[in-house]
Amino acid sequence: MRRLDPRSFLPELALLAVLAAAPLLLPPLGFSHDLLSRALNWALFGLGLDILFGLAGLLSFGQAAFYGMGGFVAAYLLVSGTIQSVWLALLVGTAAAGVLGLAVGWLAVRRIGIYFAMITLAFGQMAYFIENSPLSDYTGGENGIAGVPVPVLGFGAYAVRITAGLPMYALLAAAFFLGFVLARRIARSPVGLILKAVKENTGRVAMLGHDVPAYKLAAFTVAALYAGLAGAMLGPFQSYMPPDAFALETSGQLVVQTIVGGVGTLVGPLVGAALWLWLRDNLQLIPGFGPLWKLVLGLAFIGLVMGLRRGICGEILHRWRIRRDAARLSAAQARTEAIEAGAVAVPAVAEDVALPMPRPAIDGRDAEAEIAIEARGLARHYGGLKAVDGVSFLVRRGSIHAVIGPNGAGKSTLFKMLSDEVAPSAGEVLLFGQRLTGAGVTRAAQRGVAKSNQLNQLFLGLTVRENLRVAALARARGRFRLDLLLPGAGRPEVEAQIAAMLRLLDLSERAETPASVLAYGEKRRLEIGMALATSPNVLLLDEPLAGMSPSERVATCALIRRIGRSCTVVLVEHDLDAVFGLAQRITVLSEGRLLADGPSEAVRRDPAVQKAYLGAVQDDAAHAGEAVHEPA
Amino acid sequence: MSLLEVERINTLYGDSHVLFDVSLHVAENEVVALLGRNGAGKTTTLRSLMGVLKPRSGAIRLNGRPIQGLPPARIARAGMQLVPEERAVFGGLTVEENLRVARLTAEKPWPLDRIWEVFPRLKERRTSRGRTLSGGEQQMLSIARALIRDPSLILLDEPFEGLAPLIVQDLVELTKRLAADGRTIIVVEQNVAAVLSFADRVYGFNNGHVVYEGRAADLRADAAPMRGFMGLAA
Amino acid sequence: MPSTAALVSQAFNGLALGSLLALVASGLTIILGTLGVLNFAHGALFAVGAYTAFVMMQATHSFVLALLGGCAVMLIIGFAMERLVIRHFYARPDEDQILVTYGIGIVLVEALRAWFGGNSQRVPVPSWGTGATKLGFMVYPTYRLQLIGIVAALLVGLYLVLYRTSVGLVVRAGIENAGMVGILGIDVRRTFLFVFAVGIVAVGLAGMLYAPVVAVTPDMGATFMVQSFVVIVLGGLGSFPGAVIGGLIAGEIISLTSAFDSAYSEVMLYGLMALVLVARPQGLFGTEGRV
Repeated sequence: MRRLDPRSFLPELALLAVLAAAPLLLPPLGFSHDLLSRALNWALFGLGLDILFGLAGLLSFGQAAFYGMGGFVAAYLLVSGTIQSVWLALLVGTAAAGVLGLAVGWLAVRRIGIYFAMITLAFGQMAYFIENSPLSDYTGGENGIAGVPVPVLGFGAYAVRITAGLPMYALLAAAFFLGFVLARRIARSPVGLILKAVKENTGRVAMLGHDVPAYKLAAFTVAALYAGLAGAMLGPFQSYMPPDAFALETSGQLVVQTIVGGVGTLVGPLVGAALWLWLRDNLQLIPGFGPLWKLVLGLAFIGLVMGLRRGICGEILHRWRIRRDAARLSAAQARTEAIEAGAVAVPAVAEDVALPMPRPAIDGRDAEAEIAIEARGLARHYGGLKAVDGVSFLVRRGSIHAVIGPNGAGKSTLFKMLSDEVAPSAGEVLLFGQRLTGAGVTRAAQRGVAKSNQLNQLFLGLTVRENLRVAALARARGRFRLDLLLPGAGRPEVEAQIAAMLRLLDLSERAETPASVLAYGEKRRLEIGMALATSPNVLLLDEPLAGMSPSERVATCALIRRIGRSCTVVLVEHDLDAVFGLAQRITVLSEGRLLADGPSEAVRRDPAVQKAYLGAVQDDAAHAGEAVHEPA
Repeated sequence: MSLLEVERINTLYGDSHVLFDVSLHVAENEVVALLGRNGAGKTTTLRSLMGVLKPRSGAIRLNGRPIQGLPPARIARAGMQLVPEERAVFGGLTVEENLRVARLTAEKPWPLDRIWEVFPRLKERRTSRGRTLSGGEQQMLSIARALIRDPSLILLDEPFEGLAPLIVQDLVELTKRLAADGRTIIVVEQNVAAVLSFADRVYGFNNGHVVYEGRAADLRADAAPMRGFMGLAA
Repeated sequence: MPSTAALVSQAFNGLALGSLLALVASGLTIILGTLGVLNFAHGALFAVGAYTAFVMMQATHSFVLALLGGCAVMLIIGFAMERLVIRHFYARPDEDQILVTYGIGIVLVEALRAWFGGNSQRVPVPSWGTGATKLGFMVYPTYRLQLIGIVAALLVGLYLVLYRTSVGLVVRAGIENAGMVGILGIDVRRTFLFVFAVGIVAVGLAGMLYAPVVAVTPDMGATFMVQSFVVIVLGGLGSFPGAVIGGLIAGEIISLTSAFDSAYSEVMLYGLMALVLVARPQGLFGTEGRV
């Protein structure tokens, strides 16, 4: 995948062959050149939705807005004579759709799931009504725009008019092929990988330092550009721009076609469109069956969503992959079972934990600062409940620092404020003397605060290598970068970082294994490894030992100790034996307040700490309720 | 015969194994405490008993009838009632409406007046919406919602968590009264001192295993065995 | 500037449209709030309601009987949909729920088209609703006035069911925390079935009542559905009062804008939605946690 392998162009070559052969072989089966051309136009339109839904997981019911926008802008410019060149009109129409996509997307990507679908649907309708009434002087309202000219290739005597039939098929096929090549590049670019990760676990992508809303907006805009180009080509293709390009049915038909064809496959939209149009054209010819074609299609669609979620191409691809990877996957599963059964020795920790990628630079003035993180009067109130109530402490640079306390003491909330996932009600967090609070979790990550979670937050559908790549890319590329056409594995420093992490985590053999297949202990290691792969200045570990077996605990403690030699570590952990073995300093919380803070040994002997954990066992039971609430 | 018998249940949370062969028994009129560090499997045990989580294997019997695998609604109607850690008060419903929902499927529900006797504070706030209650009032309402169903077994999950000391004291008194009334209770709580003041028996949990079983009176006299599962070096 | 009489008349139109939208959106919002499913077949069910009125009117010649029979039909469709399809989707992602209900919508609309043809049908105004009524300085169609009254009565009825009955209590508790309702011994699945059926009857009734006012076509529900989406975004997802108030606001915006320039009526509605999304994303009556 990383080398230039001719086999990696196989999909492109196969598509090229199919597109060349289709007009020769398919017409006898009821696929006329016109039908194939229309299918290609829908398919180009659908590539955008496939990127938006298949890659980023955002289901839009408003794509018609961009299709219509591209179409009517291009058609108006041509018919009104503002622009002579059809090619230029296509470009302007596409750009107009992109601008609309940027505006609608800015509102829509703040929401997911149900909300996202409703908002896109509503804006789609809004565009339809704007086209239909206020702008009807330009768009022809319900009549559309007739007489759109066809494109001309070449100049003067050599000019060729691309007329309906085979020439138009060739043009649309070329456009789709180009769109496919670009879409495939996008899917395999860093942005594509990040979008896949967003679909799996949006929160974790943000925690690693990627600007999730910006990437979603990028996907939304790309989808709008595809829709705009397809729409812009519709007028010259039919020499008429129909108003129903804007209609709700257009968005709906696109969604159905793409799902039926197979979402996330990039060829699914083409297969789905060809199938839809073929059914419509051919079923209607059967006497007495004409009006039923869409009913049949609807029933088939319900069946597809209930059963075969992957669609036609998705299912074929899935089966092919299962056959191809069967041996590898069953080997990986066998290893997982062996690990779970305790038949595999827990690995020793590698000596070398130096990471190839540099940590984020610390502001020159504070480069020599001895304090990595300072909490100043941190408080977080939920309604009347004071989860954290005025906690201050210092974390020394290069130390391992533990935060402990009984259940409900406010540790998780405190931790979330350290990484700026949760905004404090009062107080602030300083990172090397600079205010961190208010930056948000993504900016905090970019400034070098990484966190591993109590419950694993992995990208289960991605391989171990890809999980680590998503993390390392956040350091290499910053919050947002639009490298849509670069290969995802194209950064040597990122790949070196991944290799180092795989060695450190002892997951080298598992690099190509999907994270979902890993044994539990391996998943825990990957969880910590993803945080570390961002080359942080400060690593926050939330219950790193949770759910581990005793031997895994020993190994993970050794790993944390190694990490602690080169990186400031703050951890919350309930295994106090482990905490006293690891941490140089300990902060103890109780009831949201600071109970003790100091060197490990002193805290260990502190009677107040013992009391908080075990309660005042010897106390008179009648005072039991207040016994644990004595201040330190 | 025990009111509740739990035989070697195993529960998984997603892909992580949380309970390993947990066995418990609770006799009628007994107050049993589950103690252990955070993440030891106590809350998971209560949720498995209530049917919110389905144990992969093992048996649970209430009054001799097997209940494992049943949905929570059926288990509730069989006489078990969980008061969840997060209290789960219906915020948009009034105090009285919360209680009325709870008593809908109860066989012999308490009359509201009896609840008001136990919780005069809730009576004062009977028309207030759940979300406007303080933490302590919400906890009272959550317990009241269980009581009104007159269950044969109450599961209390962290009833004192995150509450002010005075309120904790009130709730401790309340739990003691319930115990004195002969209610059968399983309680999970980090506030060990408070729990030992009213529990009869204790199970100690560590890493999803039951590692200790004994009388609360013994632990009141000598806390040493607790160090094993509460995890603080002596 | 339109005359005062025209404005008042449009305000009445807005009330009629708004109350229908409120009824449609109420069905949508209680299903969404309790079951967590956004029903994309809602528009199709509106049309099914209108066609049911059409068939029942032809059979019985009584609008009241048509409404009663129509409710029975909608109830059966609602039960069937929940049992056969929706039930299997509670645990699936939002997108799957949207897709499957969208598919159901296609099938229902196409079934109507196959059965009745694509041409529009007319449902006569009930005999007690013909003619116009004098309202001081203006004359207004009698049935439209009655429509406002009937829908208001239905919304009050829905309110009483939700806020004054045990079932309603369970539904409101279920909207907040279905899991806890189960822990309290109540069979949540039966509640879900009931809520779904009530939601479908509500939208069906809206379609039946609207049928005498417009041309009945298989696609007539689409606009109503999209507008009712806007209504629940305005009112807050899962909020019954939000659906009612949001519906009235939407109806008035559409009608009053048309008094000035009908071209902008829908545009104003979506513009308002964009504004609410930016300024108050949880909607007018939504609580912050439920977005």
